[in-house]
Amino acid sequence: MHEPSDQSLEAASPPRPSGKPQAQRGKQAQPTPPAREPSARQPSPRHRASIPSLRAQIYKSHIKPVWCPGCGHFGVLAALTKTLAHLELPPERVAVVSGIGCSSRLPAYLAVHGFHGLHGRALPLAAGLKSARPELTVIVAGGDGDGFSIGGNHFLHACRRNQDLTYIVMDNEVYGMTKGQASPTTQPDWCRSKLTPQGTGIRRFQPAAIALAAGASFIARGFAGAPAGLTRLLAAAIEHPGFAFVHVLSPCRTFRPEQQHWKQQVHPCELEPAQDLAQAAALMQRDDGMALGILFRQRIPVYAAGVAPITEQALRQIAAHSGALAEIEAELCR
Amino acid sequence: MSAPSPDAVIESVAELLAHALELEYASKAHYEQLADSMNVHHNTAVADLFCSFATLSADHAAAVAARAGDTDLPRIPPWGFKWLCPDAPEGGDCLDPALSYGMSTVQALEVALHNERRSRAYYAHCAASAALPEARRLAADMAAEAAEHIALLEQMLADERRRHRDTPDDLDPPHVPA
Amino acid sequence: MHPPALRPTASQLALAVTGAGGSGAVTAGLILLEAVAAAGLQGLLRRSAGPQIRGGESAALLRFGPDPVLCAGDRCDLLAALDWDNHARFADEIPLDKASLVLADPAAGALPDAVVASGAKVRHMEFRANARQRSGGRANMVAVGALGALAGLPLRALLDGAARTLGAKGDAVVSGAQACIGAGHALADPADLLRETCDIDPHPRVRWHINGNEAAGLGALRAGVRFVAAYPITPASEMLEWLAPRLERLGGTLLQAEDELASVNMLIGSAFGGVPALTATSGPGLSLMLEGIGLAVASETPIVVVDVMRGGPSTGIPTKSEQSDLNAALYGLHGDAPHLVLAALDIADCTHTVAWAVRLAWRLQTAAIVLSDQSLGQSRAVCEPVAPDLRRPAGDATALRGPLLASDAVYRRYAVTADGISPMSVPGETGRTYTADGLEHDPEGTPSSRAADHATQLDKRQRKLMTFDFGPDWAEILDGDHDPAQADAGLRLCLLSFGALRGAVVEAAERLRADGWDVRSIALRLLAPLQCEALRAAIGQALVLVVEQNHGAQLFHYLHAEQALPAAARSLARPGPLPLRPGEIVAAAAQLLAEDPHARA
Repeated sequence: MHEPSDQSLEAASPPRPSGKPQAQRGKQAQPTPPAREPSARQPSPRHRASIPSLRAQIYKSHIKPVWCPGCGHFGVLAALTKTLAHLELPPERVAVVSGIGCSSRLPAYLAVHGFHGLHGRALPLAAGLKSARPELTVIVAGGDGDGFSIGGNHFLHACRRNQDLTYIVMDNEVYGMTKGQASPTTQPDWCRSKLTPQGTGIRRFQPAAIALAAGASFIARGFAGAPAGLTRLLAAAIEHPGFAFVHVLSPCRTFRPEQQHWKQQVHPCELEPAQDLAQAAALMQRDDGMALGILFRQRIPVYAAGVAPITEQALRQIAAHSGALAEIEAELCR
Repeated sequence: MSAPSPDAVIESVAELLAHALELEYASKAHYEQLADSMNVHHNTAVADLFCSFATLSADHAAAVAARAGDTDLPRIPPWGFKWLCPDAPEGGDCLDPALSYGMSTVQALEVALHNERRSRAYYAHCAASAALPEARRLAADMAAEAAEHIALLEQMLADERRRHRDTPDDLDPPHVPA
Repeated sequence: MHPPALRPTASQLALAVTGAGGSGAVTAGLILLEAVAAAGLQGLLRRSAGPQIRGGESAALLRFGPDPVLCAGDRCDLLAALDWDNHARFADEIPLDKASLVLADPAAGALPDAVVASGAKVRHMEFRANARQRSGGRANMVAVGALGALAGLPLRALLDGAARTLGAKGDAVVSGAQACIGAGHALADPADLLRETCDIDPHPRVRWHINGNEAAGLGALRAGVRFVAAYPITPASEMLEWLAPRLERLGGTLLQAEDELASVNMLIGSAFGGVPALTATSGPGLSLMLEGIGLAVASETPIVVVDVMRGGPSTGIPTKSEQSDLNAALYGLHGDAPHLVLAALDIADCTHTVAWAVRLAWRLQTAAIVLSDQSLGQSRAVCEPVAPDLRRPAGDATALRGPLLASDAVYRRYAVTADGISPMSVPGETGRTYTADGLEHDPEGTPSSRAADHATQLDKRQRKLMTFDFGPDWAEILDGDHDPAQADAGLRLCLLSFGALRGAVVEAAERLRADGWDVRSIALRLLAPLQCEALRAAIGQALVLVVEQNHGAQLFHYLHAEQALPAAARSLARPGPLPLRPGEIVAAAAQLLAEDPHARA
């Protein structure tokens, strides 16, 4: 699955017809200039602090999403900005890393640091960033093809490594950007792709069960059509120390219109998340793939190796050829 | 922090104001997003309509904010609001079946009308269930305002339906087998 | 036309120790190299091993002398065979002739035919029997004593070498080894001495005792690398093993990745975070990393990939050296992706070249591929240290930010500038958030498929490299003792190489000069962007022989494609696994000179 050449529709917004204000990248959005009631149009700072939808604006960039109207990813974008606002994470301390695909367009739509990298390689890029800058909140986002097919190996090892990352997979069971091919989570008999007119005939990838088997310490499932619930899962995932996998059912309006029925099919999972593996494995056995909530959560050691802040003193020591580096060099001398 | 139970009621005026502000700002954000989306898909007539809805929502938000004045509002997590539906009544459902790149102005008005009706239903629910009489009175006022908006939208919709009877064809169908 | 007679390099000796599994040939080589250092001499220790994880046959090949040792040389002066079990595997790598001396243990059985046919002198020495007479005695240590004595190394240096090499195994092992070395030293017949015994230098100069993988690692640390992500691969793993604990001491970290697709992307993540990052790999890993290297180029994120080349293609010959990844390093990326390709010229130069690559990558915000190879990475030298670079290291945030352009009201990560270098922010900087992208983008970083944006950004990324002044380090140009001012006038031949072939070429050039030819050696350290004008100027009107170790004459074709060579330039390209020796180069050069219509009177 590779990016078609004619899909780069994003462009900086021209002024809106109504002259509505927009969030500027890296800047806090200002509400509309007053027309008749100057003081009334300006939300007080108090209100800003209390109203998630108002606070969330500062995390939105001015780039207009290319997603189809009716796409579930809009719900994820809204939920993520509200979650960041709720957690009061300064935008410059947050990085969102993605691969390639419709959902991987997410970073450009956020006013935080972002990296739109290679197809399937978002997790390792994020692992490098988190190792280099452990103090950052690093969120990884992508789709089912990106994460479970071309990036499947990285998914397994990111689960194992248990580095403090949040991984949001927007699963619509189809490759949307390349125009509707079967993905690893597509049903084996789905034959609405010209590439596999008889269906793939291959059993579906089970994201939650595989994450559990690979050692993920936090596994949750959300639904793009229930953004309030999704914010709760995302907040818990970001706050979880270790690798947190959030599997989001995010319908594709264009290629999987039948996913409209997910709204009726989703249901809450068992009330308390499983905390031990046997319990979680039993839950996964019963899972119909539509249960929403935290499926598994366990406190286990976090992969914490990282680069210490590079201080001015360290830079000077290197330039002066003293300190630990000089000791290392002395060991090579005779 | 868990979500409120389904039978939780609004306890205070401040809590009602926080809900009303969240409702209006979520509505504004949703319409702005829809306007952006329609612009990206070159559906400018509907984009302009959604823009005007965003302006209206901003006006409503300003009116609520003015009413709130310096009241200390509770700090509610995004999942802690006592809605009747999964999200803010006017926060919009990104999966609304009516949403389409080629949607008509009639469909856009239907979306707005649906949202406004949910809004009125929510305020009416609060007017009946809120713990304090003062909050119930305020909710009733807001429900009445929503009813005015509904009437306005119904009028616009009727006019628009007279002008545009046809539902638009999809001349750029998805790449799927016939 | 006969090639000039091969003359032993009088001041340098080549020794070899071979043996089957567990015989300790490599340990013997390490002790001898330590003794070389203790005697104030310089040396180069190569190793050759079978594919077994443990117990495989192995050979240690040491060349040493008072001057820098450039390469493996042409021949072996002195061989100690601990046994003959797998000698055939090494016969090609250890060229014996009538002047060679072979020490053989009669207990090891009959001499192989190839040894007999070489005409080398043979001395029987009872390594095993002598070892058995001593508690904890080992035949390889007896051989060390005998070899050291015949090679003129003082006994004291050999004993010190054993203590240094075996110290971690405890006093009993060291004293057992020293007793055997003493016994072996006594076995040597003074009539066979290849060289007068030297003294221990009472005022030794500081020398490095280092292999190319360690030297490359040191270059990384010196230049400010604090994050390494990598996947194990022969022959690069030692660089990673050396770096892992040392990064920790400097506040950095090494992450063992699940594969090379991951490791290269991890580097990009680290560099995006402002922390200089590097990986080491070999050919197969480089192939997997190419897409990631392209992302670093497109997103203008500085990364450094050290490729310790081995025989290819595919899995190839993992334990043997070759220079056959040049094409992959130059041309492997899809799209128009200008990047840096450098090559380390010798073991110590791995430090200089890797450090330079890290600094260049950060200065120019792009990817650098550094070519080393097995012959550098896994060979150990006693050599002159490379002086430390006292500039501030790469990744210094103040150097990255750059000024906001006066015309820019907002931060533009990919702003179009005169030198092509744009201000790079790192996470944590308020108001300078951006999304780095592998999609073509506009100056702000927004994805764009517009022709104008594509052309502008392609130009900008190329301009960064084409207008930058790389200074004199792009190549090492040697004219021997000739006055550089006069060198161009009579110049007849340029021997042109890159990377590790520099050593054999310099030695070949010295021999040709000794025969009266005006020869210049040019060893390219910066392969891309090619410093074409400077190279053409260095070549002048001379004949050119391009020397490289691969089958396809990759450098020769590259230089021709860049129009850097005269039409009459010739190629000497030979693949691994055997080292390309100075004698072969001298022979090819002599033929070229003989064919030249303007031959010297």
